[in-house]
Amino acid sequence: MEAPSFITAQFIVSAAVLLIVVHVILIGVAYSIYLERKISAYIQDRIGPNRVGFDFGLPVLQKLFRGFGFWGLGQPLADGIKFLLKEDYTPPRADKVLFTLAPMVIVIPALIGFAIIPWGGVWNVPDFTIPVLDWHIKGGPVHVAGAAVNVGIIYILAVAALGVYGVTLGGWASNNKYSFLGGLRATAQMLAYEIPLGLSLLAALLVVGSVWPETIIRHQVDHGWLILAQPLPAVLFYIAILAEANRAPFDNAEAEQELVGGYHTEYSSMRFALFFLAEYSHMVTSSAFFVLLFMGGYHLPLIPWLSPESTGLAAVLLKFLVYFGKVMLSVCFMMVIRWTLPRMRYDQVMMMAWQAAIPIALACVVLTSLMVYADLRGTIPLLLSNIALAGAILAVYPFFPKADPNRRVPLYGSRFNPMPGEVVSHAPVHAMAREDRPVQGTAPAR
Amino acid sequence: MAIRDQDILRVEIPPMNRMEGIYLPEVFRGFATTMRHFFTSFGQGRTSRTIQYPEERREHFTPEEGGIEARNFRGVHRLNRDEEGRVKCVACMMCPTICPARCIHIEAAPSPWDDREKYPKKFEIDELRCIFCGMCEEACPVDAIELTPEYDVVGLSRQEMVFDKEKLLNVYDVTINKKPM
Repeated sequence: MEAPSFITAQFIVSAAVLLIVVHVILIGVAYSIYLERKISAYIQDRIGPNRVGFDFGLPVLQKLFRGFGFWGLGQPLADGIKFLLKEDYTPPRADKVLFTLAPMVIVIPALIGFAIIPWGGVWNVPDFTIPVLDWHIKGGPVHVAGAAVNVGIIYILAVAALGVYGVTLGGWASNNKYSFLGGLRATAQMLAYEIPLGLSLLAALLVVGSVWPETIIRHQVDHGWLILAQPLPAVLFYIAILAEANRAPFDNAEAEQELVGGYHTEYSSMRFALFFLAEYSHMVTSSAFFVLLFMGGYHLPLIPWLSPESTGLAAVLLKFLVYFGKVMLSVCFMMVIRWTLPRMRYDQVMMMAWQAAIPIALACVVLTSLMVYADLRGTIPLLLSNIALAGAILAVYPFFPKADPNRRVPLYGSRFNPMPGEVVSHAPVHAMAREDRPVQGTAPAR
Repeated sequence: MAIRDQDILRVEIPPMNRMEGIYLPEVFRGFATTMRHFFTSFGQGRTSRTIQYPEERREHFTPEEGGIEARNFRGVHRLNRDEEGRVKCVACMMCPTICPARCIHIEAAPSPWDDREKYPKKFEIDELRCIFCGMCEEACPVDAIELTPEYDVVGLSRQEMVFDKEKLLNVYDVTINKKPM
């Protein structure tokens, strides 16, 4: 029997990949929270979660999982159950529609970004038959990706930029000034870092000359990974994806010391968990993006199975594993960054974007264009040009005028920095504040 | 009180040199520090400071290893007994006077015994208000109130955590072996 025309081998493989990847990512996100807790614990000379097993205190499960539950591996599941069972509270003055919408708006872009990641390269599927329906599917080379579209990079850029809506809506709808400030900060920060992200991405794409993910990987297989050829754009890109994912040291949108919890202060229960999940899947998406662009995708040198030419099933599975391993390494590096660097002050974050990252990224783009125009696309010339650019930046940098990093901005009505000529009373205005006496009954009589 | 200009201490940040001004070398030195701690404390390694609490307790370690010194640890209070098993306290009101958390409440009564004038008819310590500073112990002229090495007390209500005289004397019976008078 003939299958409907849209059911091709590519369709079936894409559906299977989406199904598998979404579940791997969701479970992986839960366990990357565990991973982050473990890594932070070891960095701080602690142990981290090590008690919760898979029995959750139920006698039946205790019999079943006797001997399991070491290293606290049940912790993410217990957290998930706790999130589901907690009270889901909406503040009375919140904008109900937007408040409900925000977690969805933040989760969906974070999860659909995976669709174009070429996890397993190309798989040469043999002809096969679907058993019950008796559909004969014609085999052939098939992309092991959720969607094999030739504008993959542009799609992932567009989708990743949507993530800021969730943060902004969440901050706005909560009717809480701290949430609102967090949302504002996130918006400005995402806008600022979208530019160096796109520019450093452009510096990589100019070398490859294509936005098709498979071509990018093939170029890196042939010419060496782009992180070797373009280290400066790679570093800029990594900084930008850290800022885009709201990760430390750029997590000003949820700076606990300043903003309580930031944009998700008012969220509780599973809706808070969705924000959490979105942050971590954002990390995974942007890491996959980084691996695709700069770390050679599924390619590892000296292993013949990991070249685009080998299209067997085993090669595809191995490529999948290698790709996921690289993504996890990048995620781990993000976590180490979080537990190494202190959070930057907000104005410094913005200064870093507009005064450092964007000019350097622009210079990178110009330089790469010149190199490509001169047809010097090899790793060595590009690397040399990058080193020359870095040297030039370091040489020019001391001659730039420096602003005082801790300048005091005068404000009307401020006790600390009044406007010039403004007379400010230091005494408190309110009668009760002026009374200034300790609790009654404790002070000695005067 | 408002903060006045003369109260503000201005700290001049020393200027960074060229290498520090680039930030990246310092960032990588930071990575080196974190990774050193990561690998040395991995799986409760050399630098790990954790005590696996319910199985290991602080009593099992010396103070150098992060344990407690039973003779001067400031845990739950006890009321000492004298040789005849009576409460040692003479209800002099030194401890409630000095207590900064005001958690000790004593009701004195004429003593039924000949060797002192007063004794505490009621002696209550609110262990939830107590800050375990040990001032009561210092103030006591007859060494009647002492802090013990017990630190894992629990109660199901606030009322339960207000220790009365019987309970404090019981603490003495339980801890006399751990911490002799």
